[in-house]
Amino acid sequence: MSSSNDIGMDALTEPYREALRRGEFVVQHCKACNRDIMYPRHLCPFCYEDDLSFTPGATTGILHSFAVHRVGSPSGFEDQLPYAVGIIKLEGDVQFLARLWPDAEGDWGQYELDGEVVFRAADADEMAERPVPWFGLPA
Amino acid sequence: MSDTEPVFIGFGEQPSGRYPNRPFMGDLVRVGAAAVKDADLTMGEIDTILLIPCLHSPADQADLVFSRVVEELGLNKKVKAQYMVHSGGSTSDNTIRTAAGLIESGQAKNVLVLQAEKWGSAPVKEMIDMLTANGIPREWEKQSGVSFNAVGALIQQRYMHESGSTPADMASVCVALRDWANLNPNAMYKDKKLTVEQVLGSKMVTDPIRAFECPMLADGACALVLTSRGNARKLGKDRVVRIAGEGGCVSHYSIGQEREVGKLGWEIAGPAAYEAAGWGPEDADIAEIYDSYAAVLTSGIEGLGLAPKGEAARMFARGEFSPGGRLPTNTNGGLLSAGHTGVGGGTALLTEGVRQLLGRAGPERQVEGATRAVCGGSGGTYMDSQVLLLEGVSA
Repeated sequence: MSSSNDIGMDALTEPYREALRRGEFVVQHCKACNRDIMYPRHLCPFCYEDDLSFTPGATTGILHSFAVHRVGSPSGFEDQLPYAVGIIKLEGDVQFLARLWPDAEGDWGQYELDGEVVFRAADADEMAERPVPWFGLPA
Repeated sequence: MSDTEPVFIGFGEQPSGRYPNRPFMGDLVRVGAAAVKDADLTMGEIDTILLIPCLHSPADQADLVFSRVVEELGLNKKVKAQYMVHSGGSTSDNTIRTAAGLIESGQAKNVLVLQAEKWGSAPVKEMIDMLTANGIPREWEKQSGVSFNAVGALIQQRYMHESGSTPADMASVCVALRDWANLNPNAMYKDKKLTVEQVLGSKMVTDPIRAFECPMLADGACALVLTSRGNARKLGKDRVVRIAGEGGCVSHYSIGQEREVGKLGWEIAGPAAYEAAGWGPEDADIAEIYDSYAAVLTSGIEGLGLAPKGEAARMFARGEFSPGGRLPTNTNGGLLSAGHTGVGGGTALLTEGVRQLLGRAGPERQVEGATRAVCGGSGGTYMDSQVLLLEGVSA
């Protein structure tokens, strides 16, 4: 997915993606104002310092909303259908889009808005191809 | 009101739908010529052209930026400035703000606003991919596979959760818009009826949104002419449309960063506009608010105070926003039934607001005595909530 739009982005994206490939989830952290940031930015959007690094993210979050793709997808996701994406809110006031694992029934009917979801990594191949956090229902 | 106050004095529109034999530039000049004639101006009196972007083709977009329209309209060395304003679906609102400022300050006399789009004739998959690639942080969230329909679905899921609205309530929004489209000869779905049963019987595309709840990409074109109130009087205009108030809120870039996906930015956008207008939502005669998915519209209606919190979808189900209802809403059929003409969907709603306030929506669809309109637009992944309060007045 590299293009002229991505010039110079590696220093920012690689540590994040590398963590996902290891099965870990990190969020950006500003040491100057001690706040978490997602998605990662070039300058802290709160204090505009650039003392930014990655820190382990909370592995439990709240589902704000979700959508299940059944028919139609962006190019490159056809073989993923059906699949779900959700907006996850974490402690520390960060939120982001994530993939949602199917529930015990193999669908997404058991997910509830404002309910708890937990980070559960997908395998390294999937993370290499589509680096994005995956969340599921608590065990 | 002062002589320098900006007012709408004319409009033009081409039917929305699939018109593969209607070229892009042809639509632009036809709709522009129609609007200028409607304003009782001659083309040579237009000194500023504000362009609303197209999304179907980078080449056509480049033509717009590099003033091809000026040349096609025979206005070489006559027009002072022509340029584009772009904020996706809210472009029309921001363009009107720009036009109003230019007129009020004396930098422009007669402004022609032009829009055309060929989404209905362009390759659908390409258009969907383009929409999906934009408005989503490509380095961080594109990898989730979120589609444009999913953005609408995330909003609708949350709206339904917060309001307790049922799938049938949400379907009734689409049905009300179709009932309006059936009265609009320029609507894509002017001839096709729609029922709640048909919506609920259509296939699930992106839960909770079904096939008949997705907007259809359409070709379309609109133009508007604005001038000063003093000039409108000189032209012998009887009725004009003024901008009574405006407000806005840019709430996010990525839908993943919207804190309240079921609400968006409407509650922040509304109050300043109503305060400037000196009237409130209870005084509105019509509403024309961005509606590419049902919950985008219900969140706008509620956020702008036109329905109690959480009640808009149920009020749709009771027919309160339908033809003959308490508050006629999206009287052209909206994006969902007049057709999603890209950035032009908002322009079409605004044009309809102006048309209604000028009393020229035709015998079937004109809202009798309509003088106050609440117009709202939203761009990208519903990144902003823009409101214009329009008023029909004598010049």
